[in-house]
Amino acid sequence: MDFLAHWGLTLSVFLPIVGAALIAFTPKEQEKTIKFLSLAFTFLPLVVGVLLLRVYHIGMTGMQLETNRSWIPSIGARYHVGIDGISLPLLELTLLVTFLCAIYSLKWLPEPHNPKGFLALMLLLETGMAGTFIALDLVLFFIFWELVLVPMYFMIGLWGGPRREYAAIKFFLYTLFGSVFMLLGFLALYFRASPHTFDVLQLQRIGPSLPSGIQNLIFLGMGIGFAIKVPMWPFHTWLPDAHTEAPTVGSVLLAAILLKMGTYGFLRISIPIMPHAARTYAPLIGALAVIAIVYAALNCLAQTDLKRLIAFSSVGHMGFVMLGIATLTQIGVNAAVFGMVAHGVITGMLFFIAGSIHERYHTREIPQLGGMALRLPILGGLLAFTAIASLGLPGLAGFWGEVLALLSSYNPLSALSSHTFRVYMVAGGIGTVLTAGYLLWMIQRVNLGKVPAQWEGKKLVDVQPLEMVAWAPLLLLTLGLGLFPRLIFDVTTHSVIGLTKLLGG
Amino acid sequence: MPVAWVLILSSFLFSVGIYGVLARRNAVLVLMSIELMLNAANINFVVFNLLLHSISYIGQVFALFIITIAAAELGVGLAIVILIFRNRSTVSIDEVSLMKW
Amino acid sequence: MQIDYAAVAPELVLTGALCIVLVVDLVLPDNRKGLIMPVSLLGVAGTLLALLALAGDPTRTTLGGMFVVDSFAVTLKILFCVAALLTLAMSYDYLRKEGIHQGEFYFLLLCSLLGMLTIASSRDLLPIFVSLELVSVPAFVLAGLQKIDVKSNEAALKFFLFSILSTAVMLFGMSLIYGITGTTNLAEIAVRLAATPVLRSIAVLSVFFVVVGFGFKISAFPFQWWVPDTYEGSPVPVAAFLSVASKTAGFVGLLQIMFIAFHGLADVWRPFIAAVAILTMTFGNLVALTQRHIVRLLAYSSIGQAGYILLPLAVVNVNGGSVNHEAFAASIAYLLIYAFMEMGAFSVAVAYGREGGYFIDDYAGLGYRAPGLAVVMTVFLFSLAGIPPLAGWAAKLFIFRAVIDGHEYWLAVAMAVNTVIALFYYAKVVRRMFFEPAGDGPLGVKVPLLLQATIAVSTVMVLLVGILPDLAAHLARMSTLV
Repeated sequence: MDFLAHWGLTLSVFLPIVGAALIAFTPKEQEKTIKFLSLAFTFLPLVVGVLLLRVYHIGMTGMQLETNRSWIPSIGARYHVGIDGISLPLLELTLLVTFLCAIYSLKWLPEPHNPKGFLALMLLLETGMAGTFIALDLVLFFIFWELVLVPMYFMIGLWGGPRREYAAIKFFLYTLFGSVFMLLGFLALYFRASPHTFDVLQLQRIGPSLPSGIQNLIFLGMGIGFAIKVPMWPFHTWLPDAHTEAPTVGSVLLAAILLKMGTYGFLRISIPIMPHAARTYAPLIGALAVIAIVYAALNCLAQTDLKRLIAFSSVGHMGFVMLGIATLTQIGVNAAVFGMVAHGVITGMLFFIAGSIHERYHTREIPQLGGMALRLPILGGLLAFTAIASLGLPGLAGFWGEVLALLSSYNPLSALSSHTFRVYMVAGGIGTVLTAGYLLWMIQRVNLGKVPAQWEGKKLVDVQPLEMVAWAPLLLLTLGLGLFPRLIFDVTTHSVIGLTKLLGG
Repeated sequence: MPVAWVLILSSFLFSVGIYGVLARRNAVLVLMSIELMLNAANINFVVFNLLLHSISYIGQVFALFIITIAAAELGVGLAIVILIFRNRSTVSIDEVSLMKW
Repeated sequence: MQIDYAAVAPELVLTGALCIVLVVDLVLPDNRKGLIMPVSLLGVAGTLLALLALAGDPTRTTLGGMFVVDSFAVTLKILFCVAALLTLAMSYDYLRKEGIHQGEFYFLLLCSLLGMLTIASSRDLLPIFVSLELVSVPAFVLAGLQKIDVKSNEAALKFFLFSILSTAVMLFGMSLIYGITGTTNLAEIAVRLAATPVLRSIAVLSVFFVVVGFGFKISAFPFQWWVPDTYEGSPVPVAAFLSVASKTAGFVGLLQIMFIAFHGLADVWRPFIAAVAILTMTFGNLVALTQRHIVRLLAYSSIGQAGYILLPLAVVNVNGGSVNHEAFAASIAYLLIYAFMEMGAFSVAVAYGREGGYFIDDYAGLGYRAPGLAVVMTVFLFSLAGIPPLAGWAAKLFIFRAVIDGHEYWLAVAMAVNTVIALFYYAKVVRRMFFEPAGDGPLGVKVPLLLQATIAVSTVMVLLVGILPDLAAHLARMSTLV
C-alpha cells in the first residue's frame, strides 16, 4: 500500500508507454501478441487506478498520493505528480476509456490494417492523457500535454477518412500554436514568481499576489493554449474536422479525454494561480461559452454527417462546462467537473455507436440511414438511449452538468456581474432546447422512418458481444452517474471548495 | 603622420574592394577586389601598431598572418575557379548558378 | 615563453594524427585507401581521450593568454570531436559509393576539426581569425571534392566567395578595434573600451563589421545565401559537417567576442542582433516551406535554427549578471542538442540518398518501405520542430527561458510563431513518409553498419536528452564564460 501511495500514479501513467515499447519490438505478423499486449497494458493501469481508490482519502482537501522528485534541477523543474478530487475522476475516466478502446480494437481496427502502429500509438496517447491529469509541475504538464499531439496526428492522418491529411495537420498546427503560447505563459509565470518555481502548488500560493496586469497577460497566453484544446468558440474549427476524419477509437479518445485537458488546465493552473485574472476574464469566458452552446446547436441542425453532428454537439457540451467554470462558484465548478466526466462517457459512447454504424452501413450520412430501429433494434436502442442522455434528460448523466452549470450562472461569484451571467443563463437555456431538438431530430431520422431501398435485403448485423463488452461500462456509468451523482460530487466537492476559496468565493 | 590619413586610405581601399565585389561578374576580379579589402585591414594593423608604440608588435604579427592566410585562401580559391573553368568554360559568377532558392 | 603542453595536448594529438593520415594516404595503394578511415577515427578518438583527461581541471592559460582551456573550451571541443566522429562514420560508405578521394577527404576533415578545437580556446582576435580560417579553408575543398560534378564546383565557389568576403569585412573591423584599444586580447578590449568612451562610434562600427563577418559563418540573415546552394552541391556528409560543426565554430567565436569583448556596447548592438535573429529564423522557416530537395530543406531549417541560437544574444545586459549567464548557457545548450538532431537527420538523408532518395517526393511512402528509417527520421524532424519529449524541445525551452528572463516578451512570441511555421514543413516530410502509399521506390533500404551507428547514437541522444534535459543544461551552465 505504501508503494502504491508513492508510485501508484507514476505506475498507472507509465505502464502504457512500456506496453507501447514492447509492441514496437514485436514483429508485425504476430497480431495476437500485439493485441494481447495492448489489452494487458491498458488493463494493468486500470487495475492500478482502481487500487488507488483504496488509498485515496475522499474526504480530504488538497493533493494526495504525491510524488515529488528532482528532475531538471538546472531550470527548477521537478517530477511532481499528485491527484485531488478534480483530477481523480478524469484520471480514472482516461484509464477506463482507453481500456475499452483496446477491447473494441480486438475486433475492429481501422483501415489500413496495421494493429502494431495503431495500438502502440494508442498506448502512447494514454500516457500523455493520463499524465496531464496528474502533473503538478508546469514543465511536466507541458511534456504530457504535447505527448498527446504526435500519436493523435498519426491516428487521424494514417487511419482517418478521406480528408484525413488536412484534418491531421490542422489539429497539429492549431494545438501547437496554442501550446507554445501556453509555454510562454508558464515561463513568464516562473520568472514572475519569487522564488522562481514551476511547481503548481507553490504557484497557487505565490500567484495571487502578482500584479493584476501581469496576471491578465499570462492568463491570456495560457488561455489561448487551453481554449484551443477545449475547444472554445472561435477556436473550435479544428474539432469537427478532426472528429469526422479520425478513426472510431481516435474519435472516442479525442472526445472523451483530450478535450478535458483544456478545461482541466483552466481548473488546475490558470484559475487558482491567477484568481484576479480569472475574475477579469470570467465574463468573456462565459460569453464565449454560451456562444459556443448556441452556435454548436444551430450548426448541428445543419449537419448530415453523424460524426460531424456529434462533434459539434461536443463543442456545445464543452460550452456548458466552460460556463460552469466561468461562474467561479462552487456549484459551477462542481458542475463543470461532472460535465467533463459525463461528456466523456456519453460522447465517447456516441462515437463508438457512430463507428459501428459506419462499420455496417459504410456511410454516416443521416439521410441515407433510417429505420435503424427496425433493422438493428439493439444498436438503434443504444443510440436513442445515449443521445437522450446527451441532451440532458434527468436521471441520466448528462443532466447534472448542464442543469447545475445553468443554475450556477444565476448566482455567479459575487465579484462578477450577476446580470451578465443571467443573460448567459437564458441563452444557455435556449441552447439546451436547441440541443434537445437536434438530437431528437437525429434519432428520428436515423432510427425511425422507412428503411431506405438500398439496404433492403442486405444483411446487417446487430450489436455483437464484443461491442457490448466494450460499451457496457459506459452505458452503466451513464445510468449510474445520472441516478447517483454523488459518486462524482462526493469526490470533487472538497477540492472544489479549496479552489473556490482561492477566488474569494 | 595624422591617423586620419591612414584611415582615409584604408577606408578608400576597403570601399573600392566592396565596389569591386558587388560590381564585377568575373570570379577572378572578385577575388582581387577581396584582396584589396584584406590589404585595407593590413594597412590599419601595421600603422596602428606604429602609432600606438606598442611593444608587443601584435599588429604587425596580425598583418603577417593575414598575408599568409590570404595567400593560402587564394590558392584554394583559384583552384576552385580553374576547376569551374574546366567544367563550364566560364568564370562569370552570373553563369555559375545552377541552384537557386 | 613557457608553453603548457598539457593544455594543448588534444591539438597536438590531432596534429599528429593529421600527419599520419597524410603519410598513410601516400603509401597506401588505391584499392586500400579505405584504411585511412579507421586511422582518422583513432586520431579523433585519441584527441577525445586527451580532452577527457583535461575535463574538470582548473582553467589553464598559455601562449601569452591567447589560448585558454576552461570548461567552455573543453565542452565545445568534445562536441566538435563527437560531430567529427559522426561525420567520419557517415562518410565512409558514401565516399566509396561516390568514388570520392578518401585520403584527401579525411585529411581535410581533420584539418577543419583542428581549427574548431583551437577556436574554442582562443581568447584573442588573432587566434580566432586563424582558427576560423583553418575551419573554413579545408571546408571549401571538401565542398568541391566531387570535381566533375558542376553542382559541387558551384557549391565550393559560392562558399569560398562568401566566406572570404566575410573574413575581409571581419578583419577590417578587427583592425579598427585594435586601433582603438591597442590590444587584441578579448578581455583587455572590454576593459579599454569601457575606459575610452570617446571613440564609441568607431567602436560600434567595428562591432558591426565583426558581426557581419560572423553572420556569414553562422548563416544569419541577410548573409545566408550561400548556405542552401553549398549544402545541396556538397557531398551530403560535408553538408552535415558544415551545418553542425562549422556553424557551431562560428557561434563559438561570436559568443566569445560578444560576451567577453563587446558586452559593454550591448545597448547598441542588442536591437540589431534581435532583428537579425528574428529575420533569420523567419526567412529560414518561410523559404523552407517551399523546398523540394531534402538537403535544401535541412539547409533552410538550419538557417531557422541559427536564428533561435542567436536570439539569447538579444537580451545581453551591459551590467552583466545572471541574465547574461542564462543567455550564454541557453545558446550553448541549443548548440549541444542541435548537433545530434541535425546529424541524425543528415545521416538518414545519406542513408536514403544511397538508394536515390534526394527529393522530398522520394520520401513518399517510406514508412511502408523502410519503417525503421522513417521512424527515426520522424524523431529527428519532430525534435528539430521542438515537439516534446524529444531533445529539440528542451533546447527551445532554454532559449524561451533566457529570452523571457531578459524581459523580451516580443522576441519570445516571434520565436513561438516561428516554431509553429517550422512544424509545418517538418510535418510535411513526415506526412509524405507515412500518409502516402508505398509507391514504387526501393523496398527496404540497406543501411551500412557505420551509418547505422551514427543514426543510433543520434537517436539515443535525442531521446535521452529529451527526457533528462539536465544532461545538456547542466553542461551548458558549467561552460559559460560569464
